Amino acid sequence: MGLFRNVAIVGAGMTRFHNRIHVGKTGRDLFVEAVLEAADSVDKGFELREAEAIFIGNYSSDCFEGQSHTAALISDWLGLTPRPSIRVEDACASSGVAINMAALAVASGAYDLVIVGGFEKMTGRETEEATEILAMAADALYEVPVGFTFPGLYAAIATAHFKRYGSSWEELAAITIKNHRNGALNEKAHFQSDIMDTARRLGERHNMTFKDELEFLRSPLNPFVAYPLRLFDCCPISDGASALIVASSDIAKRYTDTPIYIKGFGQASDTFSLHDREELTELKATRIAASQAYKMAEVSPEDIDVADVHDCFTIAEVLAVEDLGFFPKGQGGKAALEGRTSLDGERPINPDGGLKAKGHPVGATGAAMAYEMFKQLRGEAGRRQVDDAEIGLAQNVGASGATVVVQVYGR
Amino acid sequence: MEEKPFTTGSYREFLESGRIMANRCRNCGSVHLPPRPICPRCGGRSLSWMEIQGRGTLQAFTVVHVPPKRLRGREPYATGIVKLEGGPSVSGLILDVKRGEDINIGAEVEAVVVREEDGVKLCFRLV
Ligand SMILES: [Zn+2]
Repeated sequence: MGLFRNVAIVGAGMTRFHNRIHVGKTGRDLFVEAVLEAADSVDKGFELREAEAIFIGNYSSDCFEGQSHTAALISDWLGLTPRPSIRVEDACASSGVAINMAALAVASGAYDLVIVGGFEKMTGRETEEATEILAMAADALYEVPVGFTFPGLYAAIATAHFKRYGSSWEELAAITIKNHRNGALNEKAHFQSDIMDTARRLGERHNMTFKDELEFLRSPLNPFVAYPLRLFDCCPISDGASALIVASSDIAKRYTDTPIYIKGFGQASDTFSLHDREELTELKATRIAASQAYKMAEVSPEDIDVADVHDCFTIAEVLAVEDLGFFPKGQGGKAALEGRTSLDGERPINPDGGLKAKGHPVGATGAAMAYEMFKQLRGEAGRRQVDDAEIGLAQNVGASGATVVVQVYGR
Repeated sequence: MEEKPFTTGSYREFLESGRIMANRCRNCGSVHLPPRPICPRCGGRSLSWMEIQGRGTLQAFTVVHVPPKRLRGREPYATGIVKLEGGPSVSGLILDVKRGEDINIGAEVEAVVVREEDGVKLCFRLV
């Protein structure tokens, strides 16, 4: 697929992702906050009313907040009526897909400047209710009634991966440790303490001490959520929003001298139910979406300097780094264990802490990945900056991989 | 039986009478459980009913400790993906298993149709 013209991000903003600090705010409050930060981040200035359309990723304000017709609501709340406002719902990939839709709309010439982002206000519901709402992204007839939850589906993938490749939970633990270490360097992250600090803090409360991370992660303070996945293998439930100002390459330099271009993007679907996949140890849609994005950007996996991948559960990061072509099948977890995906490793993955530590307000996640790439590629990522990052990638997954969207970003 | 449409409703009705009914594509031979109106493999729409016997092997599994609201009180419970003899794979509760250490991929299982408050379900028992 060729594009009529190129598309760039000229501003990015996000709220901190968190489960408590946004109590009292609604989804619309969070989204407005992210958009205002994105607008303020535009180097040469940007007025909201310059935007011609809005694309919003949101999974389920319907169930979480009792509010549908979210796109028009947001347009109104941004003071942007009568501009068209479009909501995209593709489960956890909602705002990742919204970015592609925005890119297509701008590349087509229909618009020069649009706002794209996402939000989710999740903490108004109890954990069991939230589990039920999240499980709606799986098959409500053939997966959920027989007990599959969202963690359960990834746990099943983990058992199949362990069996096929001899991979192990210890490799998953290495991803937990790495992503929390990165999250500790990110002021927008839900969790900002590394696993050893966490172990000390939780240990004090329960009169326990731990000699290292693994001892803590194997302890009763890290209980099973869905065997073999434990609590710290799972991303938290967070509130948050993220937003980008997206411009055509024709006008991008009016807004900043360092726009970040969406060099390539792709999207693929797969069987809705996990059980219908021929292969349970990969997300085929990742491979397909990535090959589209690589082709459009004219890059190969080796060219990617930094990536944000969809680690809703630790096993998902293993699948991602394998299916994106960064490491051979079966070696994704080992790469983390060997430090190859750490901030100072050969291929830093999830420098912002990933969904694991940064948090996962479902609809906000894809655009938050773009936010991180925008910061990394402009050299503005502070303590978590990856050296010489020139080409970045984001991979955003819907549910158990029935939707995957990939973008390649560059200066 | 041949008259029934390939819908989720037909599948449920068969299951209620204790039968596991898939459908097979007359064009490419692939088998779909639950049945569907269009073959996902070749796009074919010429399909026929096919009864599935309940034996199969476990392909992947989990033991859920944090259940959704509707299964509250049942945790921990096991659920998994079973490859049935005859081709198709399906998700199902694995009855009487409470610990991940107690099951293995490759285990042989047998289908049990269980009637519960929220409907009839395909479950499995270790053989
Ligand atoms: Zn067919």
